[in-house]
Order: sequence, then C-alpha cells, then structure tokens
Amino acid sequence: MAAKKKNDAYVSMTAGQRASWLAVGFVKYFMLALFSFIALVPIVSCVLVALKTDEEYALTPVMQAPANWLNFSNFKTVWVDGEMGRAFLTSFAVVIVVVACSVLIGSMLAFVLNRFTFPGNNLIRSLFLFATLIPGIAMQVTVYQIMSSLNLINSLVGYIILQCGTDVISIYIFIQYFENLPIDLDESAILDGCTYFGVFFKILFPLLQPAMVTVMILKGIGVYNEYYNANLYLQDKTRYATISTALYSFTGPFGNRYNVISAGVILTLLPMLIIFITCQRFIYSGLAAGAVKG
Amino acid sequence: MTQMTSAGKPAQPSGFRQWVLQPKVQKWLVIISFSLIPLILLFVFTYLPFGKMIQFSLFDRSYTKVRGFVGLKNYARIFTKKEYFGAMLLSLYYMGGALVQLVLALLFATMLSFKTKGGNFFKGAMFFPYLINGIAIGFIFKFFFTRGYVLDTLLGAIGFNKENLPYWLRDQSINNISLVGTSVWKHMGQNMVMFIGAIMSVDATLYEAAQIDGANRWQQFKYIILPSIKTIVVLNVILSITGSLSAFEPPYVIMGGGASGTATYFIKMHQTAHVDQKVGMACAMAVILMIIIIIATLLQKLIFKYVIKDGTDSKAKKPRGGVY
Amino acid sequence: MKKFLSLFIVLSLCAVLCASALAELPAYKDLKLGEDYTDLTASVKVLNHRTDLKDTKIPQYIAEFTAMYPNITVEYDVMTDYAEESLTRLSGGSNWGSIMGIPAIDKDELPTYFIPFGTEEEMLEIYNFADQWAWDGLSYGVPSTGNAQGIVYNKKVFADAGITELPKTPDEFLAALQAIKDNTDAIPLYTNYAAGWTMGAWDAYIGGSATGDATYCNQVLPHAKDPFSDNGKGYGPYYVYKILYDAAANHLIEDDYTTTDWEGCKGMINQGQIGCMVLGSWAFSQMVEAGPNGDDIGYMSFPITVEGKQYASAGADYSYAINKDISEDEQIAAMLYVKYLTEQSGFAYSEGGIPIDKNGEYPALYAAFDGIEFVPDAPALPGEETLLSDLNSDSELRFNNGGDAKVQEIIEHGFNGTKSFDDIMADWNARWSDAQDYIGVEVNE
Repeated sequence: MAAKKKNDAYVSMTAGQRASWLAVGFVKYFMLALFSFIALVPIVSCVLVALKTDEEYALTPVMQAPANWLNFSNFKTVWVDGEMGRAFLTSFAVVIVVVACSVLIGSMLAFVLNRFTFPGNNLIRSLFLFATLIPGIAMQVTVYQIMSSLNLINSLVGYIILQCGTDVISIYIFIQYFENLPIDLDESAILDGCTYFGVFFKILFPLLQPAMVTVMILKGIGVYNEYYNANLYLQDKTRYATISTALYSFTGPFGNRYNVISAGVILTLLPMLIIFITCQRFIYSGLAAGAVKG
Repeated sequence: MTQMTSAGKPAQPSGFRQWVLQPKVQKWLVIISFSLIPLILLFVFTYLPFGKMIQFSLFDRSYTKVRGFVGLKNYARIFTKKEYFGAMLLSLYYMGGALVQLVLALLFATMLSFKTKGGNFFKGAMFFPYLINGIAIGFIFKFFFTRGYVLDTLLGAIGFNKENLPYWLRDQSINNISLVGTSVWKHMGQNMVMFIGAIMSVDATLYEAAQIDGANRWQQFKYIILPSIKTIVVLNVILSITGSLSAFEPPYVIMGGGASGTATYFIKMHQTAHVDQKVGMACAMAVILMIIIIIATLLQKLIFKYVIKDGTDSKAKKPRGGVY
Repeated sequence: MKKFLSLFIVLSLCAVLCASALAELPAYKDLKLGEDYTDLTASVKVLNHRTDLKDTKIPQYIAEFTAMYPNITVEYDVMTDYAEESLTRLSGGSNWGSIMGIPAIDKDELPTYFIPFGTEEEMLEIYNFADQWAWDGLSYGVPSTGNAQGIVYNKKVFADAGITELPKTPDEFLAALQAIKDNTDAIPLYTNYAAGWTMGAWDAYIGGSATGDATYCNQVLPHAKDPFSDNGKGYGPYYVYKILYDAAANHLIEDDYTTTDWEGCKGMINQGQIGCMVLGSWAFSQMVEAGPNGDDIGYMSFPITVEGKQYASAGADYSYAINKDISEDEQIAAMLYVKYLTEQSGFAYSEGGIPIDKNGEYPALYAAFDGIEFVPDAPALPGEETLLSDLNSDSELRFNNGGDAKVQEIIEHGFNGTKSFDDIMADWNARWSDAQDYIGVEVNE
C-alpha cells in the first residue's frame, strides 16, 4: 500500500521534481558510500599491510595488495613476541568480573533507592548526582595517590575495583528500569512469604535483563578498550598486560614496522568485530538507552 | 559483663530469625548491605580524591615530597604560562571537531532513518570505529598520516600531486586538525546511533501525516525530527566540552605524548603529575577542569529549563523514592 | 615501679639494638661474588629500559648469575618509556621490585626509596661515578655503565660526502652536514625527535663538552645570570642548542621528524642512510650491531672547542639502586646481582661504556677521544644539593632531568622558522631567572 502510494507520488511528479528526487537520492547514497569508505579505509589498509612480509612492506606501496593473502607470520610474531595471548586472557577476565560487579552493585543500589523510603535516600541520590559533575579524569592524580596508599597498585584486584568505581550511569539505568517494574510484583511476592532479599534476587533481578544488557554493553566496551588506568595501575606489563597496554608496548620494539603493528591492531579488533556482528541490535539499543541518561 | 551481653542477645536461634524477619529490621539490613559497597566506592574514588585534589592544588609538591604551601600560585601559573594555557586553547580544535561530528551524525542519522538500501551496512560501517581500542586507533592513524603512506596514496590516486601534500603530523598548522579528525572518525558513528535511536522513538504516524501533507525532507527534518531530538543534541554539545578537554589517546600514541604542539589539557595534566612530578600543579589543573565542566553542566540545565521546555516536561518523572 | 620502668627501657633498648644489629646488611664492597650467600633463597626483580636486550643478553646474564646462586630467581621488567614509567612506579608505592635505574628524582629523596651501598668515599674507591647519586655522604646508586658524550656517525657517509677531517667547531659541523646533504642520499643528522628522551639527551653536552668546566652543571649554572645567551666565545650552552637549531633550520635533519623510529634508526645508520646522531657513547655498540656494516660506524667528540681544546662530558648512565622496602634477603640478593652486573657481566664493556669497575677496560671506541679530556660533573656545593632540581622544577626547563619538550621545540621552531634561536634562548633565560628569583638564589653576574 505504502509502496504503491509512493509510486503514485513518483508518477505524478513533474520531470523537474523527478530529477531533483533522483539528485537527492544520488547525493544521499554518494555521501553514505563516501563516509563508509572513509570509516573503513584505515582499517582495510591495516589488514593489507599486516599480511606483508618485512621485505614486501619495505618495497611495495602501502596500499598495494599483499603477495600472499595467507601470510600470517606477522600475527604469529605479535602473538608470540608481543605476548598477546596472555593479554587477551587478562582483558577478558577483567571485563567479565567488572561487568558482573557493576551489574550487581548498580542494580542493588538502584533497588534500595527506588523501593525504599528512608532518611538518607535523597542524600545518597544527591551524592551520586553531584559525583557526575566531577569528571573522573580530573581526579586521576589524587586517585593514584589513594590507590598507592591502599597498596592497590600493580594488583589486578585494585584495577578491577577502580574500574567498578563510581558508576553513576549504570545506577541510573537501573533506577529508570525499576521505575517501570510494577510494585504489585514485590507485594505479591511478600505475601507469599518472600523476604526483601528474596524479592530482589528471586523476583526482580531476573526481570532486569534488558537493563543489564545495556549496562554490560556500555561497561564491557569501555573496560575492554581502557588504556589509561591499565597503564597507570597495572605497571608490571609482563604480568598484567591488558590488550591495550600490550598493544601500546609495540611502540618500542616494533618501532615503525607497521606490518607487525597492524597485525596486533587487527588482533585486538577481532573480538569486537565478532561481538558487533553477533550483537549489533543490542549494542545499538544499549547505546541509545545509555545516552539518554548519560 | 560478659553474661549480660549474651543475655541481651536473643536466646534462641528462632528468636533471632524472628527478629531478622521483622519488616523494619529486614528493611534496614537490605538498605545497609545493598548500599554499603557503592557508597564506599563513591567515597574512596570520588569524594576523597576530590577533597585531596583541592588541598594538593595549594601546595608545591610531588607524590612523596612536599616543598611547601604556595596558595593560589599554581592557579596563577596556569593562566599565565603558555604551556598550560595553550593546552586549554587546544581544546577549541576538539570542540570544533565535535561540532562537525554532530552535524555529520545528524545528517547520516536522518538519512538512515528514512528507508535506505543497504542502510544496515552503512550504519555498521560508520559505527564500527567506535568499538576500536584507542591505542589501536592511534597506530592505525599514525600509519594513515605518515608521509607517503595511506592518506597520501589515496590523495595521489585521485590526482593530487604527492609532492605538494602537507605533512599531516609535522606541520603545526594542521597536525591538530589531523588528530581531531581521528577523534571524529571514532565518535561520529556513536553519535549517529544515538540520534537514530532518538529519531526512531518519534511516532511513525507523524511522518506519514507529513508525507500526505506534502512536506519535503527538509521540512520533515525541521518540524518533526529536530524538535524530538533537541534534548539529546544539546546534551551532546555539552558532553563535547568535557570530551575536548580530556582528549588523550590520539595525540598520546600518534605524536609520542603530545609533541609538536599537540598536547591536550589532559595530556599536559598527566605529564605534569607523572613526568614533572608536580602533583600540586596537576591538581590545580584538575580543579580548573572541574570548574569548566560544572559551568558547562549548569549551562545545560539552564538550556533545558528555559529553552527546551517541551522535551523535559513531558518526560520528567518525579524520583519515586520509596515504595515500602 | 620506677626500677621496673628503667629496667624495661634498658631491656627494650637492648632488644632494639640487637634487632638492628641483626638487620644490618653486609657491606656491599666486601661482598664476594660466588663465595658469600651462595645458598641464599630470594627473588630479584629488575626494572630496566633495554628492550633491545630483553631476549638476548639479559637471559644470558640471568643464566650466568643463577649458576652461582641457584636459589635466587632473577626477573626483568623491561619498558619502553623508562624515564616516565620508572618515576610513576616509584611514586606508586614500594612494591615495584628490587632494582631500578634511578630516574630523575631529587637527591634528598634517595633515602625515601633506596638503601645506600656504602659511604661515598668507599664506593668511589672501587667504582667510577659512584658519587653521581650520593646524598649526605652515602652512595645510593651503582652506575650501570659510564658514558662519554660525543656523536655517533657513519664513516662511509662522511667519506662519500668528501669530509676528510672531523669537525671541531659548530660551523665546521654544519658545513659537514651540508656536504652530506649535497653529496649523498643520507639524512645528515637524525634527531630521533619522536622518541622524546633522545632530545633531552642534548642537555648532557652543555656541561663538560661545551665549557670544559666540571663545576658547570651543578655549581655554575644555578647561579648564572642569563646562562643561555651568546657569550661570543664560540663555546657554552648556547652553541650546543644552536647546532640543533641551525641543522633543523637548514633542513639537515630527517624530513618527517614526527614519525621517527628509534629501533629503526639503528639499522639506518648502519646501512649508511644516516650521517650522524648526537648520542652518548652507549649508542655506539648498538649501531655497530644493528646490521652488517658495523665497521662503518665511528664515534667522534662533540664539535665545540673551548679555547683551542676539546672536552667531553662524561658521567654515569642509569645507576642501579635497591628498594628500601623489601626483605633483607631480597636486598642482599639484589646487592649480589648488582655486583655481578658491574664486575662480572661485562655489560659496561660490551655496551661501549666507560668502565665502572676501577679495574675495567676501556672499549676501543674511546680511541676517538684521544687528546680529548673527559669532564665528569662535579657535585653541587654543600647545602645546594637540591638547588638545580628546584630550579629545574620551577623553570620547567629540566636540564638533564627529562626536559625533552624544550629541545623538541628548538627543532620545531628551527624547521618551520616560527621563532628565532635568540628568542628561544631569551625565553629560557627569562624562565631561569624567574626561577632564581622565586627560590632566592644568589646570581653571579
């Protein structure tokens, strides 16, 4: 029906209108194609160069296709010399623990703030609200001093605690979500003899799934790609390298050998690509949801 | 003494159970156990460093050694020395970039919210850079901008004379633009996805009605799309101020820690604290950064309150503190 | 009651004394490698900047050492941005490891972080440059190797450019660079701008090499009025940086200096793609080993002549220091490893360094310094030990203390013609005298 209407509209256009319709369409697709090209070219150039041998890299123009599309020797180099395998394990472990903690901490606090009246409720809300005004990066200097006096530097636990930190955004996402969960749920559970703990863990927590996905995505992407704190707090890079710090350490030994560096870049990017392709829908909706409250 | 304490406690486990199961006791148990950890984290990683930051900013000190109290000298220095003030001005480049980024994001979000062949591909391609690790992006673009490499090759292919191309990273009149470009490259898609989300939340019948009324695309954009996403656009403009001051990874990786006049405010702050070991000075920089951000946030609140009344009124929900 | 109390005090004093006697570490200089503490069980963790030796010499050293001390495990943590990273770690608490090369800290902070190896005097008896990191009569750092400051160059490139005699003055040097540019394809002077620390390295030449005066850095500079002005004599700090500025201004340096590659430059000079680089003598062996043409690499002194004579700044490279907050066993193990590195590993010699061990030999490259006097920096005057670092911190120029950015700016301004050299130096003078004012230093005209 709609398509037919559109066709009718198209048919009823004058030649001039038709021309401008086509022109707009052309400009639109041209722009989309151009910017998608710009978005992808830097990545594609890395793929091309990552498949080249040292000699090929030195002699051929950078955008020329590699002689052998299956030359994975650079990937092997970074995997072995760059110790990327270990870095992946560390990063995955950190992401999983931090995401789990954030979900738990955020939803628990949101539950308390949303479901209970008690003196201090508004105070806690304001404390967290004011915290959003103080940018985390402004405090990195004194946070470092505090972490040092708590003996949490060079410790995976310390880094994880720091990453959980003050996560106002996820608390807000959960509060927002709780507001849409009817109280009847709680009340009937209490009538059935549930404690408040029971209400939270048995009844409400499983219902939080959509909010959890949002928090997991926002937090997961952030933590996986985090460099600044990983570099500062996980100082012993032989033990605690994350993918960001492992990748950064390429600046020294691999210098300007972009064929090797690019292989590292592609490796770090692969997990994200896989997750993106499989969970595209959740990522988009998660970002949109996170942004409104951000 | 000891006897009395034990007598004071419920004698039987079942009594203790009953005591715990009292709604009032239970309520407080839940409140305390559920909010203790986040409150400790909030205190240790926000308010404690916040207080220390203000205190340290009045001293000439390193992490371990205090040279003395200097009052507001650190602040005076930031506004008088070009090394610090210049870093702040550098943020203007990033703010300009953020503006370009918003316009592009808005443009593509509008395009893609109409029916588009291959829309998912375009959306995905433009969004994906946002998921890439900042350090990886640094390497990608160092390679991209190096003399004679990717960018020069591409421009050469469309007819530019390679000899006349500028040095993207060396030339100090454009190197910050190159770096801002990488930042736009990374974040544009994310803004776009947010805008698409906002546009999609507009009632679809509005578009149909508009089409029937013969509104063209620009009119649809101006009268339907823009009003519905005003809030999120303003929010993003203000977020871009924070983002501009805290730009870190591109200059850090591509320019080896911000050489050739590319050290952003955050890089300068990091180096002041960790390389120069002037922790007091770095804290003063942080306080100023915070003040700027608070001003920006207040500005945002004011704009929401007086300029965009419609958006907030309809959506505003009173915080429902307390049900039980 | 009183009796009890005094008895208690006496007893506890005894306990404290005994405990401190027990905690007394062995004297470093008396330790005998391979004889003392051979059954000690401990671990040693070394923070180090030599990423290039990570898979080559370092495992050999560890193997050789653990052959003598089978129960001591040695582990290295090697990093690229050493100057910055090591400072960050030091300020982050005491669990950074056992041994580190002392970064740019103030001398009065040495006791906060490290244990002394012995008195300054006794350490100077066995090692060269052992007073580099001394505070209050105690020596906290054992130099890893010593450096003379000169220029590493490619002999073949110089010959191809028609340079028959090595330059001895700034003008001769710039003429030589110009000849390389005109007659060969090599980059005349490779600055390694992007690496950062290679820029701060230019500060090492303003003392001995530029003035011939051992007291210049620690005693003269802090009190000097306008130390960066042109004194008209053809030597002094002004001329050191002027060489760099002029080379940049005449485009005698690498083209896209923002994307230089430190590891890559070694192979480039080895293959004759680079004419020369201004780096300490430590760099020589690395350039020799970086390719097949090691014989082409030469070393020469810095082209400044002071009243008809050439000098070379000389001093310690990174000095090993031992963490104060690790267990006594770990400290002893660390001492043994430092001793091994200094006296048995042959590190200083193989790296082309001035020997640290008084019995050590000079490597062959020092033939280049024939007739040139080595000038190690004399320590600061008593009571002024932290003066230079205070001035450095307040002026933010940071000479020999991580002041990379200011040297990078010389290249930027020179290359792009955005600021004249005299203006840069005037700016430095202003910053220096502001700092002198603020700290209240007596300024000698």
